[in-house]
Amino acid sequence: MTADIYKTMKANVEAVVDETPLIKTFVLKTEEAFSFQTGQFIQFTVPGEGEAPFTPSSSQFQKEYFETTIMKAGRVTGIIHSLKENDTVGIRGPLGKGYPLKEFESREILILGGGVGMAPLRSLLLTLLDEKDKYGRIVLLYGAKNPVDIVYSGQFAGWKKRGAEIYRSVDKCETDQWKEKIGVVTELFDEVKLNPSKGIAVVCGPPVMMKFGTFKLLEIGYKPENIYLSMEKNMSCGLGKCGHCALGKYFACKDGPVFKYSLIKDIGDIWD
Amino acid sequence: MKFLRKENLETFVEKMNRDSDIFYPEHNTNGSYSWARYEKGKTLSITGHRTVLPLKYFFFPPAENLKEKTGKPAIIFGARGCDVRGLQLLKKIYLDDPEDIYFRKDTLVFSADCTSCHQNCFCTVLGDEPWAEDDFDLNFSFARDGFLISAGGKKGNEILKNNSDLFEEASDSQKMEMLNARSKTKEYLRKQNEDKKINLKVCAEKAGENLDVFEKYAQTCVSCGACTNVCPACFCFFLAEGKENKIRYSDSCQYPGYARVAGGANPRRKMTPRFKHRILCKFLYRPAMQEIKGCTGCGRCISGCQGKINFRDVLLDIQAGEKR
Repeated sequence: MTADIYKTMKANVEAVVDETPLIKTFVLKTEEAFSFQTGQFIQFTVPGEGEAPFTPSSSQFQKEYFETTIMKAGRVTGIIHSLKENDTVGIRGPLGKGYPLKEFESREILILGGGVGMAPLRSLLLTLLDEKDKYGRIVLLYGAKNPVDIVYSGQFAGWKKRGAEIYRSVDKCETDQWKEKIGVVTELFDEVKLNPSKGIAVVCGPPVMMKFGTFKLLEIGYKPENIYLSMEKNMSCGLGKCGHCALGKYFACKDGPVFKYSLIKDIGDIWD
Repeated sequence: MKFLRKENLETFVEKMNRDSDIFYPEHNTNGSYSWARYEKGKTLSITGHRTVLPLKYFFFPPAENLKEKTGKPAIIFGARGCDVRGLQLLKKIYLDDPEDIYFRKDTLVFSADCTSCHQNCFCTVLGDEPWAEDDFDLNFSFARDGFLISAGGKKGNEILKNNSDLFEEASDSQKMEMLNARSKTKEYLRKQNEDKKINLKVCAEKAGENLDVFEKYAQTCVSCGACTNVCPACFCFFLAEGKENKIRYSDSCQYPGYARVAGGANPRRKMTPRFKHRILCKFLYRPAMQEIKGCTGCGRCISGCQGKINFRDVLLDIQAGEKR
């Protein structure tokens, strides 16, 4: 008999890390073997309560456990945020297509992130850093609303040490504690010299940030086929059947969630 | 092609009913057809046109606990060509990699040619026929004294073989009667759609453009989802977490919250993009991705629409429309 594609596998909550007042990282260990390619997503199930899609935020080479970083934004994420260490949850996945890392090899990779959009980008960044020699420069431009909204705040220094170039901004800061850029994330482009005609750019963040981030990348010379966007849509089945995540002719869950901008640029409502 | 005499239909149905539940289109007093379960003593009739509700719910019920299937497999006796074409798209979605085991692929389809048409039927306008050409297990066509039967695959052939005592080889004159009956139905459809000439290629090209037509119809659409619920080719569902198992509810892209994500962002919050999305899904997206159009011309969406939207006219308006 063919397997039940909607079946979840059990996972244990190994740890819960507070990232910001609204964002937590859950460290999960699955009962059965589980691996994913960076950029793929999972359905996180709280048995009997609900499920919602998230992208792992750890390196794809981290096999013992994996992490996923979740913002409290609705009913299911509210329940997830109340989970404690050693609670049992369900996982479906990995689902969708990840970043095509083969195409990234030897090239300069710009990672442009905003807010909790850093979660899938952290997975990508850590995966790239695990095989740093394969790639060209790895540049991270990251923006958040306030310093308090920065996820993984204690980890940037470590990533820098491992070879990532990092530039950060916050939209505003009422005190003088923030020594880096104040302004929207696209203003960071003024601070870094990039190689747009040959480089790869990967974007994830709130819709408005992705829109203006992508327009900025195009303006400075990135090619549409070299810009990769993580499209957040309402994935329900996660397998290209239920129709919820329709993005033009594509199902974001099956054909994405990572899309080349060139493939989706003519679809009317991608930024909404 | 085989021939089954009218007087042998009941015997055949009784034999098939031993291991399967049989559903057929029962003629209602108001002229419509509804699916009814066959029981001994009932007269099973397969003449007429499409039922009020589509075939699809035999394959995935509107609300379903996703756990092991129980009960006898079903035979749908008298499914129409439009429903069978809708099923082709559903099979691509549900059975193509990865296969959804809850989709009831053990259900057999015995299609039957339409012998009449509903006032909203327009399959011929889309270039389709009022009968099924493939994807059935058996198809029943009509001759004066009985039914001409084609098998559409292994299971159908087995049924013919196992009941060979009931069937004869169809004669040329019976085949001629079948063709005449088909032409007659097609002529009804042609007449009732005389003023509707639709070029699907032009429609699909223009549907992708930003046309005023979507705004016009969105003004009378009330987002009730009747059109998608009765559509034989609409497949969308919502997967919910139940207490013991997952539950699948049929869903509609016409509902305001359908595409909303956590945090509230919603690419189709307004009616116009929702209305447009449904049309594009049927005539642009599914042909591009599944190589099947998402409309079968059954006209149920017209019958069900609370805003009195005639989807034939929507297509004509799209075709005639100018790019904004």
